[in-house]
Amino acid sequence: MRASHIAFFSHFGGAAILLKQVVSEIRRPPLNLRLIVEQLYQVGVMSLPLVIVTAASTGMVMALQFGLGLEKFGGKLYVPKIVSLSIVREMGPVFTCLMLAARVGAGMASEIGSMVVTQQIDAIRALGTSPIKKIVIPRVVACVIGIPILAMVANFIGIFGALLVCANDLGLDPVFFVQKVLTTLWLPDFMSGFMKTPVFALIIAVMACYFGLTVKGGTRGVGNATTVSVVTSSICVLVGDYFLTKFYWMFEQWM
Amino acid sequence: MDVIEVKNFAKSYNGRAVHKDVSFIVKKGECLGLVGGSGIGKSVILRSLIGLERADQGEIWIEGQEISRWKERDLIPIRKKVAYVFQNGALFDSMTVFDNLAYPLREHTDFDEDEIARRVRDQLEEFGLDAAIDKLPAELSGGMQKRLGLARAMMIGPKVILYDEPTAGLDPYNTLKIREMVLALKKKGVTSVFVTHDMPTAIAVCDRFCLLGDGRVVDECSVDELQENSDTPLARFIQGAGNGG
Repeated sequence: MRASHIAFFSHFGGAAILLKQVVSEIRRPPLNLRLIVEQLYQVGVMSLPLVIVTAASTGMVMALQFGLGLEKFGGKLYVPKIVSLSIVREMGPVFTCLMLAARVGAGMASEIGSMVVTQQIDAIRALGTSPIKKIVIPRVVACVIGIPILAMVANFIGIFGALLVCANDLGLDPVFFVQKVLTTLWLPDFMSGFMKTPVFALIIAVMACYFGLTVKGGTRGVGNATTVSVVTSSICVLVGDYFLTKFYWMFEQWM
Repeated sequence: MDVIEVKNFAKSYNGRAVHKDVSFIVKKGECLGLVGGSGIGKSVILRSLIGLERADQGEIWIEGQEISRWKERDLIPIRKKVAYVFQNGALFDSMTVFDNLAYPLREHTDFDEDEIARRVRDQLEEFGLDAAIDKLPAELSGGMQKRLGLARAMMIGPKVILYDEPTAGLDPYNTLKIREMVLALKKKGVTSVFVTHDMPTAIAVCDRFCLLGDGRVVDECSVDELQENSDTPLARFIQGAGNGG
């Protein structure tokens, strides 16, 4: 096995150990709510504009593409059904998480990496406190709470964007659009997309914290860690999406 | 009584043995100067004394407890007793001076915010930093950052302080300030290990020296012995006639 392969797997092993430490420490009170709220603000509120723009453009482009494509076969009326299902089951959660892997993941990895380089993480340890508790847990908890909420917002904004395009460019009645969306979407559709987001959030936060905490080599190391964190968590989100989709599909069949 | 005892400490990085067999003791109330050439691994030993680095071999005893194999969580009581003053201060750059000093109190005491504020203000006054209370560390000079690092390390009254080059890069005025602070702490009976290249300060504050070289302690003597005999490896190191290796 080549050294790069070993390094690749050792990163996953390292991230898994970090996750285990998070699970172990999170059970030990007290949890610092102030730090979690601070991180929720960073992850949730500060990411909102990015999520809104991404979701709106995704919904609008999908509506336009499906509308123009299906119009040739007289299927324009199916656009609300197709777009809303696509957004809620797949596009909303996955695109949101990919954007957040870049924005939030990069921010976390670089911030923590800088703290490593300037010995602030060592100082946290030297002062008898735990970097897992002070740095990692607030970020993981904030992501697991904040990212699913952002994904819900993205679903809503995406469908709203599609409605605007359907009404303005495709000539569909907005009331008809809303009726179709409401009669198409069921709880399992919503849940199959929504339930992926806490898993993706965990991947993004743990990967970012892991690569941040293992920075070596000064400022260049911080840059590398940031890049690797974004690439790895994006790949994990995309690959994980297939398996989670299959899992929820099997679950729906079983139900 | 020995507060710190290091026995046969060994540590390697990427197959290169930095320390092969280092042993020394630090008695209660004593200030031990750990000196040696650049890159010899003085900071590695210092970091190992509170578990920031793990020894490959050997033992580290702090107040009668062998801590070299302890888990991170078990080291917390040791880290409350043994403070570490980082070379660059290692201040929390997103926190103000006040919050940097309040951090150990908030973590390890049950004081209310009024009591914490009172103690932080007293400490800032003692270290001549009272005017900087609302500033961020980046807004402070190098000397002030070092003093703040020292003040933070002292917040919960440690019994032992580990100084990692506390005067490196400072002007004579700030060097003197740090020296006075270290001496004041020593008078209070605080045990310390002093890693430095600043020999005038080291001679002023330390009771005894260990010279590191070739992965072990190559010379050890008190300040008096050092001044009496100028033909020891340590004396030659101080005179610049050898690097202890």
